[in-house]
Amino acid sequence: MTNESQANIEKSIEKIIYQAALALDDHNWDGWFELCDTDFSYSIMSFSPEINKNMTYFSGNKKELKGLMDMLPKHNTDHSPLHRHTSVYTVDVADDGKTADAVSSVTIYQNMLDGINSHIDSGESRLFVIGKYIDKFKITDGTPKFISRETKIDNRRLDKGSHWPL
Amino acid sequence: METNIQTPGKGAYTGSSKNALDASERLNKQIFIEEQKSIFKNIWVPVCHESELPEPYDFRTSSIGNDNVLICRAPDGKINALLNVCPHRAMLIERRPRGSFLEGQASGNPKRITCMFHAWQFDMRGNCVYVAREKEGYQDRFCKDDAGLRRLRCSVNFGGFVWVNMNDQPVATLEEWVGDAFLSLEGHINSTPLEVVHYRKEFIDTGLKARLLKMSDSVGAHSKQSLFNFGHFMTEDSKPGADTNEKKNSFPTPNAMQSIRVNLFPGFSFHLDGPTLNVSTVTPVNGNRLMIEHKSLAPQGERETERNTRSQFYNANFGPFRAMEQHETKAEKQNEEKKQALANHLLHEWSRWMDEHPDGESRLSELATRRSKNAILDKDEDLIGPKVVVIGASHAGIAFADRLRKNGFTGKIAVFDRQVGGPMERPPLSKGFLLGGGETVESKSLLRQKKWYKTNKVRLNTQTSVQAIDTERKTVTVNNGDMVNYDMLVIACGAIPRELPATVGMGNSFTLRQPADANAIRQAANNADSVIIIGGGYIGLEVAASLRKKGIAVTVIEAASRILARVASQPLADHLVQLHRDNGVTVLTDIGVDKINKEDGRFDSVILSNGEKIKADMLITGIGVFPDSKLASDAGIETQRADGGAILVDDMMRTSDGDVYAIGDVAIRRDQALAVESVHNAQETASIAAAAITKTDAPTIQTPWFWSDQYDTKLQSVGIVPVQDEEVYQVVRPSKRDHGISFWSYKGSELVAVEVVNDPATYMEARQCLDTNRSPDPNQISSLSYSPIDSGGGRSQ
Ligand SMILES: Cc1cc2nc3c(=O)[nH]c(=O)nc-3n(C[C@H](O)[C@H](O)[C@H](O)COP(=O)(O)OP(=O)(O)OC[C@H]3O[C@@H](n4cnc5c(N)ncnc54)[C@H](O)[C@@H]3O)c2cc1C
Ligand code: FES
Repeated sequence: MTNESQANIEKSIEKIIYQAALALDDHNWDGWFELCDTDFSYSIMSFSPEINKNMTYFSGNKKELKGLMDMLPKHNTDHSPLHRHTSVYTVDVADDGKTADAVSSVTIYQNMLDGINSHIDSGESRLFVIGKYIDKFKITDGTPKFISRETKIDNRRLDKGSHWPL
Repeated sequence: METNIQTPGKGAYTGSSKNALDASERLNKQIFIEEQKSIFKNIWVPVCHESELPEPYDFRTSSIGNDNVLICRAPDGKINALLNVCPHRAMLIERRPRGSFLEGQASGNPKRITCMFHAWQFDMRGNCVYVAREKEGYQDRFCKDDAGLRRLRCSVNFGGFVWVNMNDQPVATLEEWVGDAFLSLEGHINSTPLEVVHYRKEFIDTGLKARLLKMSDSVGAHSKQSLFNFGHFMTEDSKPGADTNEKKNSFPTPNAMQSIRVNLFPGFSFHLDGPTLNVSTVTPVNGNRLMIEHKSLAPQGERETERNTRSQFYNANFGPFRAMEQHETKAEKQNEEKKQALANHLLHEWSRWMDEHPDGESRLSELATRRSKNAILDKDEDLIGPKVVVIGASHAGIAFADRLRKNGFTGKIAVFDRQVGGPMERPPLSKGFLLGGGETVESKSLLRQKKWYKTNKVRLNTQTSVQAIDTERKTVTVNNGDMVNYDMLVIACGAIPRELPATVGMGNSFTLRQPADANAIRQAANNADSVIIIGGGYIGLEVAASLRKKGIAVTVIEAASRILARVASQPLADHLVQLHRDNGVTVLTDIGVDKINKEDGRFDSVILSNGEKIKADMLITGIGVFPDSKLASDAGIETQRADGGAILVDDMMRTSDGDVYAIGDVAIRRDQALAVESVHNAQETASIAAAAITKTDAPTIQTPWFWSDQYDTKLQSVGIVPVQDEEVYQVVRPSKRDHGISFWSYKGSELVAVEVVNDPATYMEARQCLDTNRSPDPNQISSLSYSPIDSGGGRSQ
């Protein structure tokens, strides 16, 4: 792989991570799924120093996620929009240029829509979650697609609410 | 959502709306303070789970109301709860949520709790062990022995949770407090060691009382609802297709389907749903805010696939990212009557604590009554005479108390035991008990019924472990820090089963001594197809027979050249090996265990000394016991060796301290060669000690006897089979009874022991011979027409 093609792949990986953030912010699930390979799997993990363990809070493959998204209208959800601020920290492309790993920082704010008393609470933004995206990609003809995303969150204070992918 | 609660009589409306707001805020604050003081200072709070501090010196911090609590594991494995506040200048000592004191910290020594402010140090029991500049700074005005962290009442129970009560004299013991609320849950959650696998917090903007009300809203629709004393309740849902009597449908299997929820006042919920145990606890933060901590527990060291199944169920039903179904028609289905009953139940309890009960019922005055009653109790009724304290309420301790009263003793008798529940017989634990299907200990195995203690004025204190003996001040210290004085002390601490180091802390690996061990084995056996038993002694063989009867494949591994090498004759051992083999047990002798493998923390297989690997679902170790004499040796009472062994006693069971006696498995006479661990020995030594204390005639000494049941075979043995040498031999005597036989052991021409299989009449004859020093002719005893009793045969001296 030439330096130039490596740099191109790195660029397109950064781009796809930002595209994913936008699609997720916009609840554009189909747009998000398009960025993901058929074998895509997703998880939300967190480490608890209280119990000294890694915890899995969510895990599913593309099909399960799709099923979940289709059910969304039937669920009670906190409808407050989320705003993901992402910075890509590292991108490591494999020597053969066919796969890559990336680690990004993510800070998610919640813009209150229906708090305890929406009359008072709505409109306010608050910090929702901080963490990292640990992503793996498959690269076909220079185009990356997500094959997995682990959202590793630092929060252990998690109130029930949104259950769509972070 | 309800936030402010108007409680009659508190917080009056004062006119302007500004004042009204202030008033309700003040009211919330006042209620919050009152709840902290009246409720949280008095109730039992599950602060963490024992698995969160698995190793000695591990700790966890928590808070109850405004009090900071430190929970740590002492080097002896016991969990203690301490106030996390330094007695020096009242600074918070430990700030991390969890960790270990084993390694030194920047500002502290290893194995010490160190206050970072002025470096005072404490041990895991809260004793102060170092005061900076003690001599220079304080001369003799102050000494570290006077300063210690406050020990809190702490108990580990109900599925391994650690419960703490801020009140040293609570309104009820933990067991009384919980009452029957845990009955339907206990069997499931006690069946296997658990660990916490999910933890998170949630804050909700509401007060405690409002949440209690909300609780009754959400559970009204359940099929079964039971209300218990102290404001606890239980709900049980039946799910289609789930028969929770079936083990495949109930926790801990990963496809369990039951749903049982126990809620202890004022909001500690234990919800066994499907394969998950979900526990949530409440901590008020201020008058209008509660912190709810959610934990999910799973069996320790289970396979990854099983863990994943549970995790998925948890995430779908309890996790913060779960999908919440719209409330279909549930609300309509709720049973208004049940809902109302639950709401009343919870609110009445709340008002009882807050002194606002409509009928004036008050928990706080109950507390006061109990306290004054306790004070009277300590003076102990109208009993006059010396006070005898007994440590250990098992065969020896209880037989002793019984004998003492029968001998006319009129003083006080207090018996302490660390076990939960009424003292039980040990022999059934390896026999019929393992066959039972129930989840609790059967009352027929109790050593004495409850009434006996009352009638005989024997004050039994269970779940109370004696932690120190002071022979000079003549006191014992029990686990809540209380000191009890004695005139005479009887140590009946029994013995502790030996463990193989590799099996310590291993899931699905057991030893058997106490009722709780037997319960755990019984539960695990329900889910096992195969078991390995290391050790071919009586306990190992009895367990083998019981589990075989349950259809489990059993392998017994004995390192010696034969089973029962220490306690039975060769012919009897051969007879029993055949019996076990006929019943399908694999008995391996003369072979060691080189390695014990675990997988995911659970027992997996053993590697034998010949390299063979045997896998099984569970492991039981029965390789003997050692006397539980540490308490005594720590107090300077003489034991066999400086580092332990049995407590040495004289013929009257008196130890090296004239006011301290030792009986049962923990004691050995100075001239006694071999320890005999048996019920007979426990009873006999108890009678001797009782006679010595009451200065009555010593009981007639019987020849030691013992029994064992394996399959439908009853073995009875009398006398002690001597170590095999040239002079020792056995003669086989046939029996008139089906499957009966007996083995008569002689040393020269002297009869020393008889082992009888399925023939009680012959056993009685043998016993009579040995009790009266008769030695029937060894050349004739094999003939049935020869009577060992009528034959004369006075023992050759
Ligand atoms: C499974 C099993 C089957 C048996 N079968 C037979 C049989 O068939 N026939 C027979 O003759 N014998 C049998 N035995 C042996 C017999 O049960 C024991 O010899 C007998 O129990 C000894 O009684 P003990 O009171 O000396 O000690 P233990 O029974 O060991 O009791 C000691 C008690 O002291 C308590 N204790 C210890 N330290 C403290 C402390 N610091 N504070 C508070 N409490 C403390 C313990 O909790 C325990 O309850 C069997 C034993 C077991 C375990
Ligand atoms: S405050 Fe703890 S040592 Fe001074």
